[in-house]
Amino acid sequence: MGSDSIANASIPMLSSNPKDFAKKKRANRSAKLKQCKLDARREQWLSQVKNKGSNEELNGGGGAPGQGMHVANERGLLMEKLVIKPRGDEEKENGGCTNNYSDFDSPSNSPTSDTSLLEGNDSGTNFTGASSSSSSSSSSSGGCCSGSMSEEDNEGDDGCLDDWEAVADALAATDKKQEQLSSSLDSAPERDENVVHVSSPEDPDRHESGLDVSKQKPWEPISPVSFRAWRPDDAFRPQSLPTLSKQYTFPMNLGQHYRGGSVWGCKSLSIPTSCPICCEDLDFTDTSFLPCPCGFRLCLFCHKRILEEDGRCPSCRKQYKHDPLEGETTEDAGSLTFRPTRSCSMISRS
Amino acid sequence: MYGGTPSGGIGISGSSSGGRAWPSTTSVSSSGKRIQKEMTELSIEAPPDCAAGPKGDNLYHWVATLFGPPGTPYEGGIYFLDITFPSDYPFKPPKVVFKTRIYHCNVEPSGNVSLDILTDNWSPALTISKVLLALRSMFTTPETYKPVVPGIAHLYFEDKAKHDEIATEWTLRFAR
Repeated sequence: MGSDSIANASIPMLSSNPKDFAKKKRANRSAKLKQCKLDARREQWLSQVKNKGSNEELNGGGGAPGQGMHVANERGLLMEKLVIKPRGDEEKENGGCTNNYSDFDSPSNSPTSDTSLLEGNDSGTNFTGASSSSSSSSSSSGGCCSGSMSEEDNEGDDGCLDDWEAVADALAATDKKQEQLSSSLDSAPERDENVVHVSSPEDPDRHESGLDVSKQKPWEPISPVSFRAWRPDDAFRPQSLPTLSKQYTFPMNLGQHYRGGSVWGCKSLSIPTSCPICCEDLDFTDTSFLPCPCGFRLCLFCHKRILEEDGRCPSCRKQYKHDPLEGETTEDAGSLTFRPTRSCSMISRS
Repeated sequence: MYGGTPSGGIGISGSSSGGRAWPSTTSVSSSGKRIQKEMTELSIEAPPDCAAGPKGDNLYHWVATLFGPPGTPYEGGIYFLDITFPSDYPFKPPKVVFKTRIYHCNVEPSGNVSLDILTDNWSPALTISKVLLALRSMFTTPETYKPVVPGIAHLYFEDKAKHDEIATEWTLRFAR
């Protein structure tokens, strides 16, 4: 059981390779996968029959026929029949019922495989819907899955294999869920009801099944969750599923971060971090100091030094204009306001 | 021999050298920092056919090498220059002297270079890298309007072929 699930999980992992690679090894792999799946499925069914009680057997029986759209109604009817029946009867019925259906699993593939490709796709979509809608109703979706897989394999390698990866992933998911089923056995029937709701809305006996669901209210809060896809933190989420949401958000965040960084980079390009004359770091006063219209920035000390000598901008060689503001900075009065430390030191010196 | 007190002496000498190293790093003035930065920049990316670096331990005394650019009478010559930085370097130009003799109207027979950017038009924003580029362009196009050797400039105007011939001869004689 465990080894089977591992083997099943490893194949979908491989299937996440690029499509051309998958196309190359398509024939080989599909055959292998088919064998693996069928073997695993049989073992799963057998183990279920052996180990588990009547309740999940019922689910298995209900789920197994749901291999095509044309079977869905029939399955719904069967399901409701079984669910409506009292528990005591179920135990009687289940022996035959499940055996029938587990046998029904493989023969039912051949009629459906003769049907058109469209139907095969339908069954595939039906299956994915079922699997996503019921997070732990593994038996029904598993039955669907095996049916759709074999259909695809029988129909050839043309169009159906587009869904191949999804089907393989879902298979792994169902296998995983199968392991977790033992913990939540009783929740399964009620979720199968949900599946029946989805697959056969026009069913006349539908309210009965709805009533059945309403009777089992304690499980109700889980079922709306189960209709969604897996969340990244979902306990039932298969590990083989790619974490697309994470991969999507990560580059977004990166881009935002990078954009922020580039903005800062631009800023640092326009305003140098160090004085180009003395190579000392520019402080806030220096960076906000623009003595020349040419845009050449330098620290206040170097500016003062240049003003003491020729007073020309080092970059454009034009005489520093004695703007009222900048003139004052170089004057004694201005230096008092702009550079108190320096003016103080000058005063103390003089 | 070195046991006991001498080892203590060694320890003291080590600590004293460490103590000496500390004020030396702080004594690096703004010019020193600037020169060091230019040195690292030159080691990363130097102008073509140019090389420059400190002569020895003294950061303020450099030696530069210039290769005579092709297509000029100085082609094939290797010219060594001394560059001396003043203590107030970025605000005062470095002193550049040719150690290799060269027949050029902007180079005194003593080797002093008369480039406008090295005298009046010096800017603190200029670097040694730019000075080397200016020297290289001086090889290709002499500044004949402000020559320090008017005779060479005159010959350059009157008979460029003769000027080039003499320059090539000097290159072969002194710069090889």
